[in-house]
Amino acid sequence: MSGPLLQIDGLRKNFGSRRILDIEHLALNSGESNVVTGDNGCGKTTLLRIIAGLENAEITSYRFQGQPLSLEHFPPRLRHEIIYVHQHPYLFNTTIAANIGYGLKTRNLRKSERERLVNEAMEWAGVAHLIYVPPQKLSGGEKQRVALARAKVLNPKLFLLDEPTANLDAEARRHTIELIQQMCLDDNCVLIACHDYELINLPRMRRMILSDCRLAPQAPTAIRRQVV
Amino acid sequence: MELLEPTREAFRLLFSGDAELWRIIFISLRVSLIAMLVVTPFAVVTGFFLATVPFPGRRPLVILIQGLLSSPTVVVGLLLYLLLSRSGPFGSWHLLFTQEAMIIGQVIIAFPVMVAFTLSAVQGADPRAHETALSLGAGTTRAALTTLLEVRFGVMASVFNAFGRVFSEIGCSLMVGGNILGLTRNIPTAIALETSKGEFAQGIALGIVLMSAALGVNYALAFLQGEGGLK
Repeated sequence: MSGPLLQIDGLRKNFGSRRILDIEHLALNSGESNVVTGDNGCGKTTLLRIIAGLENAEITSYRFQGQPLSLEHFPPRLRHEIIYVHQHPYLFNTTIAANIGYGLKTRNLRKSERERLVNEAMEWAGVAHLIYVPPQKLSGGEKQRVALARAKVLNPKLFLLDEPTANLDAEARRHTIELIQQMCLDDNCVLIACHDYELINLPRMRRMILSDCRLAPQAPTAIRRQVV
Repeated sequence: MELLEPTREAFRLLFSGDAELWRIIFISLRVSLIAMLVVTPFAVVTGFFLATVPFPGRRPLVILIQGLLSSPTVVVGLLLYLLLSRSGPFGSWHLLFTQEAMIIGQVIIAFPVMVAFTLSAVQGADPRAHETALSLGAGTTRAALTTLLEVRFGVMASVFNAFGRVFSEIGCSLMVGGNILGLTRNIPTAIALETSKGEFAQGIALGIVLMSAALGVNYALAFLQGEGGLK
């Protein structure tokens, strides 16, 4: 496929009279890892939510794999291609396996196939030993790993990860970064919103800064000054 | 008043399989359970819709529904009587003094109770539940069902409350059912009648059944509810 996976032009978002985003152009490519950083409240989460079709915005053009799309009528098939993971992931009040298999169920996969993929994803995320633990009893790091497994098992074209290491202790953060590193190595496109210097500095990471409603490419040193 | 003898007689009536008594119990359960089966899907969908879809006039509508929670069942019965009586607009349906009329009345009584409780449960749901379902590829209907499943504790509470209200109501059943033995006499109307005649044994027996059936049905529903929401 030629051209970017996702291309957005003329994106504007206001909350009341306050402008949050004013982005002229954003293109994300397959196999590319991207990180957006910026001050708290600068609109990183809003940007991810708009791309995921969870939030509306004024937009001149939204193209996915070259196809022009409307945010107001976000096509259901795109939900299978773009997965958004909340900063504090929500786990359904059921089993961990059912949580990870939820998206597969919406894709009408056979039960045996679903079980195989769920088991693989649980092994990948290192949560297989937690299979009988109710999701509400998991720690923040474990919840984050289950949420990453739930996203990865769907093999989407674009992962949107919102502050995946925020509020995690050192061990949980290390685990989560390892998983994200693996996601970045695959042929997926990953867009992460975060302040985590280690994540920002992952190899082959394309770095951007959201500041004054605008998105700009940044060198790692500039990000270090902004983040640290 | 002597209570021991009528209570002993009540248990004798219950365990001797008194046909008349058990017919009354059967009618009561049949009418209320059918009413709940009819009202539940409509009320849950309405409650979910009111909680999640903004539209002009939503607020006054919610206030109206919450106001209807305290509507006296006898007033519902009176209005339904006027509609179903021979000179009323639906008189040609010949529903007055039938179980169907009682079911309609109980549906009307249960509807605002279930809508208000479902609305409250869905409003209290974590918005990330719906977003997560959507983001994982669920369609609108599946995402809505997932949200309802997440707040099943609250939704089932709406079923408990509505069942409790219709199973024990007397005003509407008396007005549109007519308290006809073997046809429309249910537990509450029978208790009122027997007590007025001084037949305390049957009144007590029916009271025991009313309480036991209400508890039994609630336990069955609680089983369906699971542990969701309990910390």
